[in-house]
Amino acid sequence: MNAKKQLTEGLITNNPVLVQQIGLCATMAISTTLFNGIGMGLSVLIILTCCNVVISAIRKIIPEQVRLAIFVVVIAGFVTIVDLLLQAFIPALSSALGVFIPLIVVNCIIIGRAEAFSSKESVFLSFRDGVFQGLGYTCVLVIMCLVRELLGSGTIGGGLLNGANSFITLDGTGAGFRIIPEGFGAGALVLPFGGFLTLGILMAVMQYALRKSNEKKARKEKEVKE
Amino acid sequence: MKKTVDFIKPAAILLVVAAVVALVLGGVNMLTEDTIARNNQEKVESAMQAVLPAASYEQLEAPEGIDALYEAAGGGWVVQVTKSGSQGNVTMMVGVDTDLKCTGISITASSETAGLGAIASQQSTAGEAFRSQFVGLASPVAVTKDGGQINALTGATITSRAVSSGVTAALDACANLG
Repeated sequence: MNAKKQLTEGLITNNPVLVQQIGLCATMAISTTLFNGIGMGLSVLIILTCCNVVISAIRKIIPEQVRLAIFVVVIAGFVTIVDLLLQAFIPALSSALGVFIPLIVVNCIIIGRAEAFSSKESVFLSFRDGVFQGLGYTCVLVIMCLVRELLGSGTIGGGLLNGANSFITLDGTGAGFRIIPEGFGAGALVLPFGGFLTLGILMAVMQYALRKSNEKKARKEKEVKE
Repeated sequence: MKKTVDFIKPAAILLVVAAVVALVLGGVNMLTEDTIARNNQEKVESAMQAVLPAASYEQLEAPEGIDALYEAAGGGWVVQVTKSGSQGNVTMMVGVDTDLKCTGISITASSETAGLGAIASQQSTAGEAFRSQFVGLASPVAVTKDGGQINALTGATITSRAVSSGVTAALDACANLG
């Protein structure tokens, strides 16, 4: 299994959100500003990578009967560590994401990757899997945030960009860049049902693109045969 | 005999894993505890300075219906109060002067809808405009829809109502101090 294949899997062909369809709850709830999206995506990436590495490292001593319990203990540990660190060093992100950081414990992406991948593969492969799957998750979040924020509130980069003192701020006070004048955004998109709508469209586009590329591949193989 | 071992070994491994995780968590907690407490303290203090500047604040016993009550050194009070908004609780700091008028508000914690109710707590022109409406008002405070004087945020009547009722509760709490 090479790095390129794992990367395409994480980002496209086996994307955690758009293809495996796991971890949807938080995706829909927090993808309203770029600040939230990047913060949540990177938190999941870090937690997923740490959990993958640890679970892979101890995979040979994990007894079959209690493996899920052990996964959950390890995941809960890393989530709490990240939660505490965020509260201490990036309090704005911690208050913006609120309960969704502790809820990463029950995010299917992490336990799903533990069960399907890191409990069977080597530490190095699991590390790469964590990074790439985390990147795939972050990309989807960022796309959702960009769409919902632009069409819903009319800005780009809310919370993160265009702060009072610098271009990029970490205290969540950045005003973002206003593209659509205030009051003209489709406010519905920042509401939960706008999240469903955006995610549904993204999934449809993804499925369409995947099918097209598969058809193309099949045609090529046929041509080669003939 | 083999059955007992089969039963104990997984449990023992789970115990060891849980113990290691607990130990690590304890360590991280020790490292971050002070910073988190300082962050929260700073947040509360900067909110108090924003609504009613004073050299120091003395915490008084909070009456029913509000979270915390501080007496400012130069006269007046700062009240922390929590009301339920449209998505969750809205916690705010309300400054009250000796004439029992609101001197300013600051929303310290809320989870209102981004782009609608969240404007109430943002450092934006719209947010400042919404919050400045409360300055100088006496109890009761209500949105125009309920016959009051506050122009509710567009699409966020529930948030605006929550803030209004919080300010009313704060003003009333100070009035009852005697």
